[in-house]
Order: sequence, then structure tokens, then C-alpha cells
Amino acid sequence: MGAQDRARLVIGAKVLSALLPVICGLLGVFLSNLPVTLFGSFVPPPLLGFIPVYFWCLVRPDLMTPAATFAIGLLQDVMSGGPPGIWSLSFVVAYAVIQRQRDAFAGLAGVAAVLGFAAAMLIVCVVAYLTTAALYHLTPLGPIVAELAITVLFYVPGAIVVGALHRRLVGPLRSEF
Amino acid sequence: MSSNSWKIARRSNTQLPLVIVLALAVVLVLLGRAQASLFDRARMRMTDLMAPVLETVHKPVQGFNRWIGSIEELFSVYQENLALKDENARLKQWRNVAVVMQGRVQHYQELLHAVPDPAVDSVLARVIGRASRPFLETMILDAGEGSNVKPGEAVVDARGMIGRIYLAGDHTSWVILLTDLNSRIPVTIASADGKPTALQAIMTGDNSAAPMLDTLSQSVTLRAGDQVVSSGDGGLLPPGLPIGTVMGGPGAYRVALLADASSSEDVEVLAFRHPAETLPPTTPSQLPAVAAGLPPATATPATVPAAAGTAAPHTASAAAGPVSPPKTPLPQMPRAAPNISAAIQQEPIQTPAEAPDNRDD
Repeated sequence: MGAQDRARLVIGAKVLSALLPVICGLLGVFLSNLPVTLFGSFVPPPLLGFIPVYFWCLVRPDLMTPAATFAIGLLQDVMSGGPPGIWSLSFVVAYAVIQRQRDAFAGLAGVAAVLGFAAAMLIVCVVAYLTTAALYHLTPLGPIVAELAITVLFYVPGAIVVGALHRRLVGPLRSEF
Repeated sequence: MSSNSWKIARRSNTQLPLVIVLALAVVLVLLGRAQASLFDRARMRMTDLMAPVLETVHKPVQGFNRWIGSIEELFSVYQENLALKDENARLKQWRNVAVVMQGRVQHYQELLHAVPDPAVDSVLARVIGRASRPFLETMILDAGEGSNVKPGEAVVDARGMIGRIYLAGDHTSWVILLTDLNSRIPVTIASADGKPTALQAIMTGDNSAAPMLDTLSQSVTLRAGDQVVSSGDGGLLPPGLPIGTVMGGPGAYRVALLADASSSEDVEVLAFRHPAETLPPTTPSQLPAVAAGLPPATATPATVPAAAGTAAPHTASAAAGPVSPPKTPLPQMPRAAPNISAAIQQEPIQTPAEAPDNRDD
């Protein structure tokens, strides 16, 4: 393999690692919006797209930018079929709060880390609920609370997957940026 | 570079984009409120593109749901079998009654020259996806505008109404379920004990399994088991579609839906097309009064009491206007109204035949 090929490979790996958080977020949105329900209509689908947003906003905010968060929220809006722009706004507001309190959130471990994610999800759900109530109509609290609970439940396996991807593909390239 | 200095550098770099993106998100929400059709088009294009994926994913999920359902049913199959036999026997009796009643109604309709109900075409569609989200309860069908499915049309299964078409793409369409927050359906409530009462109400979804009944007056008392069907008000849905039965108490009436949207696999989309009524001819020679050989009368206040109640405002406006009656369409109505009421008085047998059809319109 020549030096030129090696350089191309490095550049390709850099691009992939830079795009991986956004790709994970978009893939999470796609998966959570597949219109299938395994447990009837009682359990809403989790907001899988927000797990990469939260994770990489803490560990690599240079890769999970506000624009990327907005794009993930926008896809969630388009695919979920709810009031337009609600998830874009709530994702970006949550991103702004997490970014301001990054040191506090990033220092959490174990159950406290899950609670940290739950706090971030609470911001997402509160913003989505209040915006919908203000612009459309007052909705029942039950579904949005269920959405919050199921997403927090999925955070543990989600964080394991995202963490593994970060260590294997994104993390090693960090020093080169 | 220490991690602390890196964080500080990043913070300063992302402050401006964050503000811009926040502003963009707010604009998007407001734009979505004002121009929801932009989002709807994007959604339909994406759903059309995803249709093959949805069908592929839906099959194993459907199999899984059936497997889970069969395990639950295994424990109650004997009791359910007994209950079904009992129900079947009762339904056979009701079927005989229904056949006799249908023949009788048909006979009465022929005698009264009743206007037949408008034809309802239907498109059979398969459910390829469903979702229950905090702000939307929906299902996706594999039929779109290519199969003549249009927004607003009713979706029913073998048991009753499920919802309405919300968005229609080329090959797929989204159904807004009766349980969805945005669902509002005009309904008629028929008494379960056979009394000839038909109360009007609006059935409102609130993301719960049983939609609410709104706009009922406080004095109305319903009974559990009263039948709820579509009223057809507004001309968007065919009247008489079975929806459910009344449950709950005064002030909190709800509807137990007949159809279960979570288990429906094949549904019908009803293309209810109410024929638009054409306006009467406006040339003076074709006016009913002139055609009947009567002299063209001028609209005077004296004719107002003789006209039908609904025509009174037109009469008043015509009387106030200086324009001569035959040249404008408005003054024609009060002169036609007495002729109609006279015709009804001469042939009283036609009145009951007209009444139900007028109500449906």
C-alpha cells in the first residue's frame, strides 16, 4: 500500500469518524420510527435518536454540533408525523442545556449517568409538551411520560452500543483533530 | 492540550451556531404551524420510499404479535368458545330480524320514492405499519393516490370505523385513528332500547383507547350500550358507519370502539362522494314561478311571512335592494319557497320521505 493510499484511508477514516455520531443519530431516528409496535399501542417507541445526541454532546461536542442535533430532530419530526418542528426544537434546547452543564453531566457514572440522561430527556419532553400545548392543544401527560420512561430504559443498551462505537471508531482518532 | 482548555475553546466556537440553530428551530415550529402541508409532502415522499422496507419489516413483527397473541389465547380458548357459540346463536336471531327489517325498509322507500343513498366505492388496503406516539396515533396503508385513495376518506374494517385518511402519497397513505388527539368525528347516538332518538355529538380522540363525546348538552343522559354511528354531517363521511357504544357516566361519556386498530390487518377505504348540487337556472323564463304560469312577483315585505323560514334573510335583503328581482339570483328564492310549501301541503305523503335525506345532506 503506497503512501497516497494510506493517506486516503486515513482521510476516509477521519471522515467516517466525524460523521459517525450524526449517522448513529439518524439511524436511531429511523429505527425508532419504523411503524411497528411489538407491544400494541400501550408502549410508545423510544426516542433512540436522542441517545447519540446526548452521548456525543458530552464526549465529542465537536462531532455532535448544534446543526447535527437539529438535523436529527428534523428527521424525527418528518418521520414521526407529529406537529412539525417540535422535536427539532426540543432536541436543540436540550443540547444547549447539556452543553452548558457538560462538566456536571460528563462526571456522572453508573445509575447517576442514567439519571443524567433522564434529566436531559425530561427537558426534551417538557419542551415538546409545552410547545405542542401552546401552539396546538393540551395533550394528555400519560403518553409523553411513557415516552420519557421507555427512552430512559433504552438508554442503558443504547449507551453500551454507542460507547463501543466511540471507543472503536471515534475515540482513537480524537487526538488527530 | 489539556481537556479543560479544549472544552473552553469548543464552547466559544459553538455559541454562535447554537443561537442560530435555536432560532432556526423556533422558525421551523412556527412555519410548521402555518404551513403544515410542506411537512406533509416530505412525510409522504419518505413513506412512499420506505414502503418496501415497511412491508418487509412488518411481516416478522406481525408473526411475532400473532405468536404472542396465540399464547395468551391458549389459556382462555374453552371459555371463549362457549361465549362465541352463545353469541353466534343470538346473532343468528338478530340476522333474521335484520333481513325482515331490511325488506320492510326497502318497501317503504319504494313507496315514498325516497332518494337512494349515494354510492360508496371502496379500496381494500393492507396495513403495513402502525405507530403510537405522544402526539400521533396512526397506521400506514399500502394504498395511495395511485389507488384513488384521498385524504379525508373513512377507513373501516369488518367491525367498524378505524379512522380517516390523513395523508395520501402515491403508493401509501397515513390514517389518523379515531383515538388520535386530532380526530374529530360528527356522530349520531342511537338509543340501545330501540327508541327513535338520534342525538348529535362530536367524538374527540385524546390518545386514550376510548374517545370522548363532546358538544352534548348538559341535560342529555346517555346509557351504556347506546350505539354510536357516523352522522355524515359535513358530507365528508358516509352516514351510519358503525363506530362503537357509549360507556362512562354523565359529563364523561366515552365511546368503546368496535374496531381494534392495533389488530386490524386488512381495511377498506370508503370513497364517499356526495354529488354536488347544481344551482337552479337563473334565466327568468326558467324560474319556477314563471314556469308555473304565475306573473313575476316583486319582493315585498308582505311576502316574507309566506316564505320558508330559511329564506327570510334573502327576502329581507332583496326587499332592501333596489335591483329588480329577475336579474339577481337572491330574490328568486322567496318566490320559489311558497310554491314548494304549497306542493308539500298538497302532497303530505312526500314530507317524511324528504326529511331523512335532507337531514343527511
